[in-house]
Amino acid sequence: MKQLNKMQLSTWVYLLISVLLAVVPFVYDNLSMLFLIVQIFIFGIFAMSYDLLLGYTGIVSFGHAMFFGVGAYGVSIVLERSEEPTMAVVILGTIIALGIAAVISFIAGILTLRLKSHFYAMLTLALAGLFLAAAEKMRDLTGGSDGLLFTVPEFFKDRTNLYLLCLSSLVVIFFLLRRVTNSPLGRVLVAIRENEQRTMSLGYKIFPYKLIISVISGVVAAFAGVLYAISIRFIDTTVFAVDVTLDALLMTIIGGVGTLIGPVIGAGLIEYAHHFLSSELADVHWIFERWVILFGTVYILAVIFFPKGIVGSIQGFVNKRKIKKQEQFDKKQSEKDELAG
Amino acid sequence: MDIIFTLTLNGLAIGMLFFLLAAGLTLVFGLMDVLNFAHGGLFVWGAYTGLWVYSLSSNFWIGVLGAIVAGLLIGAITELFIIKPVYGNHVQQILITLGFLLVLSELIKVVFGADIKAVQPPSYLDGNFALGDLTIIKYRLFLIVMGLFVFILTTYILKKTRIGLIVRAGVINKEMVQALGINIRLVFMAVFMVGSAMAALGGFLFVNYSGTAFPELGIEYGIFAFIVVVIGGMGSFSGSLLAAILVGLAQVYFQYYLPSLAIAVNMILMTAVLLLRPQGLFTTRGVSTK
Repeated sequence: MKQLNKMQLSTWVYLLISVLLAVVPFVYDNLSMLFLIVQIFIFGIFAMSYDLLLGYTGIVSFGHAMFFGVGAYGVSIVLERSEEPTMAVVILGTIIALGIAAVISFIAGILTLRLKSHFYAMLTLALAGLFLAAAEKMRDLTGGSDGLLFTVPEFFKDRTNLYLLCLSSLVVIFFLLRRVTNSPLGRVLVAIRENEQRTMSLGYKIFPYKLIISVISGVVAAFAGVLYAISIRFIDTTVFAVDVTLDALLMTIIGGVGTLIGPVIGAGLIEYAHHFLSSELADVHWIFERWVILFGTVYILAVIFFPKGIVGSIQGFVNKRKIKKQEQFDKKQSEKDELAG
Repeated sequence: MDIIFTLTLNGLAIGMLFFLLAAGLTLVFGLMDVLNFAHGGLFVWGAYTGLWVYSLSSNFWIGVLGAIVAGLLIGAITELFIIKPVYGNHVQQILITLGFLLVLSELIKVVFGADIKAVQPPSYLDGNFALGDLTIIKYRLFLIVMGLFVFILTTYILKKTRIGLIVRAGVINKEMVQALGINIRLVFMAVFMVGSAMAALGGFLFVNYSGTAFPELGIEYGIFAFIVVVIGGMGSFSGSLLAAILVGLAQVYFQYYLPSLAIAVNMILMTAVLLLRPQGLFTTRGVSTK
């Protein structure tokens, strides 16, 4: 009962924050800032999909960029080929992109998910490399390294519409994924993360579970890619680059693995810090252009000292305090009992 | 015939570079059960430090020495500060070493600049000579000789000396070695440093071969080290050499005959090996397949 109440409370808090965020474009009219926030929403979705693998199932993928890229290219190619970019074309493109991503993540999952963590990381890295190479070679389809420039329907050109679309996508996907991770499926995934052998000996076939979550994760990542392409209106092969995967990794680790909200916070921090360091502070001193050093160092320290990230560490702290309070309460209670006795 | 000869020579030369890159990685994995994604970072640091020393001293061999020293030092730092805190936790190892690879590649830009550098090998290694009606590019021959030299030297140390015995025993069963009163931590560190020095040497030799050096070199070529290690079998030293030559030859032949498949061929090779024979093509009995 108590658990239920807590769940509802956090739901209300998240909804309240969403509403507050939805008001932002109407009161704060700074185009570059709005654009930055849109990027944060998009990468928040992407990082959440990564968290499903890393945080909930304990799988390290170095090829998550391929789903992002497939989503981005899927919608871009459909839009570029269409005679007139209408809403229907965008929806068609999105469905095609997500479908392809689902098929690819299914096949890649069957091929790779049986491997141990080292091999899985290497193989996904190689697979993403293949996609990057393919995107550069298939110039007729992807435009190669020149990229694709395309037009989107008027609706998406308006910053406020785009902002609200990305925000609502983020909120809906967040609640959907939270539902998934709190379901029996999510519990089995956490069990796999904690102890694969034990989960197996409890009678669970772990492979189908891993496959399901990697397909879900791939589709969500592809959707982030779709939003990215629509918001930028231009893409090139960098969407398949290792950097994209690394961004998701950084956001998830720094925000907090296995928390869903953590990666979104991580996305906000990293995108903002990136923007701030490369545009504002770069004028002060050139070293700030090399912001990757700073992030890399923070990330390394986080892996060593705060493997749970911001949200995880706060949760741990709160839980500890609760336990302490409970202990103190119990102590007092027993002292009282003793006095009474 | 000419073209086959040239391609084979070229493939062998590239294979030797891949071998230098992969050898340290495979030993570290076999001995310490750590997959070091930062290995490519050593490659690029070796290249840049070697070039810097080379340009200061204008002696190629002092440049080689500089690269090796840089590899040893950075290897020691990596082992102490990056690898040591995360022994035994695979997921954390993968995550942290990848982060370190990024930092290493980015630091190159701070120390040596972000632009692409042109590299010129010394005159006595530059150019080519004719052998009958075959033209041989000197530097390629030099690479093959260097690769074989490193392979033979390392094999000698591994097979004929006491320290080599300890390392080989450690790969097979490190708890047993520890129980026999050997400080396995020191052995770890030494192997890690030597492996890093090999990668650094490989980096320096590579930029002299390709003619350009750029900071993303480590990220780009690090993947080849993994491909070689997987194909050769984790922890197998001679397997690395065979796999590296195979990968080098495949690379060169496909680039010539089927250029559209050249980038993909080695990754497809690795995928096939992982799926069909995850212990690697050339693993011998008794070598850890963890």
